[in-house]
Amino acid sequence: MDPVIDFKGVSKSFGPNEVALRDVTFSVAGGEFACIIGPSGGGKSTILKIIAGLEKETSGAVVKPEKVSMVFQAGALLPWLTVAENVAIGLRAKNVPEARIRTEVARQIEAVGLRGLESKCPRDLSGGQRQRVGIARALAVDPTVLLLDEPFSALDPKTTEELHQDVVKIWRETKKTIVMVSHLIEEAVSLADRVILIKNSTVEKIFPIALERPRRENEAAFAHEVLQVRREFFK
Amino acid sequence: MDNRRHIHHSRHSGFSYPTSLWSRLHSAFTPIIVVVVLFIILRVAAIFPVVPTAISPDYIGLALLATFIRLLIAYALALVISVPLALLVVKSPLMERIFLPTFDIAQSIPVLAFFPVVVIFFLHFGLTDAAAVFIIFLTMLWTMVFSLVGGLKIIPTDIKDAAKVFGVKKFDYLRRVLLPAIVPSIVTGSLLTWAQGWNIIIVAEVLRTYIPGGTAASDLFGIGSVLVDASANGQNAVFIAAILVMVAAIALLNFFVWQPLLHYAERYKFE
Repeated sequence: MDPVIDFKGVSKSFGPNEVALRDVTFSVAGGEFACIIGPSGGGKSTILKIIAGLEKETSGAVVKPEKVSMVFQAGALLPWLTVAENVAIGLRAKNVPEARIRTEVARQIEAVGLRGLESKCPRDLSGGQRQRVGIARALAVDPTVLLLDEPFSALDPKTTEELHQDVVKIWRETKKTIVMVSHLIEEAVSLADRVILIKNSTVEKIFPIALERPRRENEAAFAHEVLQVRREFFK
Repeated sequence: MDNRRHIHHSRHSGFSYPTSLWSRLHSAFTPIIVVVVLFIILRVAAIFPVVPTAISPDYIGLALLATFIRLLIAYALALVISVPLALLVVKSPLMERIFLPTFDIAQSIPVLAFFPVVVIFFLHFGLTDAAAVFIIFLTMLWTMVFSLVGGLKIIPTDIKDAAKVFGVKKFDYLRRVLLPAIVPSIVTGSLLTWAQGWNIIIVAEVLRTYIPGGTAASDLFGIGSVLVDASANGQNAVFIAAILVMVAAIALLNFFVWQPLLHYAERYKFE
């Protein structure tokens, strides 16, 4: 399958002494679930920002689709808007007719299991519910690529596990290309088709994960994959 | 009838902000309309009598109203003008380097230093009320600007990034993201600017000091001039009554306007 995201020799600097990315090359195929992992400050989020159009590469070539949306680490919901209004924001910006906005918002809220909470404001929701609103908002604009920037890092293990299952379900049903950033090796191996390890601002190694889903952490094959990634991560 | 049905549907589905073109225009132009109407009231309507030579307690309520309208107009102008000035500061690091020190210098210049020039200028056009409003406005403006700059600078990067990713741009970005985000700063800034307004009102209304050959008749009718006149004429009862009325008005404003607004602004705060 043709790649929908293609980085060729991409570098990014924020001034002469701050190199965020150095000669990064990788691609993500359509419908693939890729996870970028690596130590903090390694450039993972910069890659996501370049794909999202929030940053521009300093050099190299980037191929990315027009329709990209993103789920943010802390939700990035507007506190003065209700759940429904937050989900609708991307559609309103595109001047989608009001009737279609209402239908689409209701559909996405239903899909992430938040029906009945349409009129609530973000502060009335739990951390997991807020991230669900973020996912619904991202999906409402029907993106080609869905970017997830450490979306589960602030959640408790039970909520994280529930959201892992939801994300995999959404990915299977919508066949969207997903690129997720995480700092947890187990999370990456549990969710992704391929794990891209970023170290020292460049791609250290790419690990294909060929395990069947659902993946269970207590299985030997899962532990083996985690070990492979861990070795490179801490090398 | 249609409107009622529309609003009911909106609440049920979680959509509560105005969606019709009229509603959007209405919300955008309301502050401007309020300022214009208040100006017309102040200029045209003869609700303020000529300052009586002997102030009596009967006039205190009316004097308070006159002062309040002046403060309201000055505040509305300060609010409307401070928003673009604050946006200018945070537009880019370069703009911040240029405008932040410029505004800081501007706010440091004592407003009363050029009050005589302002009074003479406005008197030339017969706009004595405008002179007072302008001075109150200048007193309020910079506090509001710096309050809004503070509010704009604490908007989380994630929120700005989310707006970009979802294509919320230009006027939509201003209306849906920036303006709501600074609601808490507008409220706290307003509290401070009104306090400054009450402080300056005495000098702003007593124009005789700045007019060559000015007398009590040159003053503007308001609670500030009532206080000065009562004090000068030894009308202690009037003076005390005016002080009490002003304190009561400030307390009521705080209780019925600022406290509810502070509470309301909570929903606009980022966690």
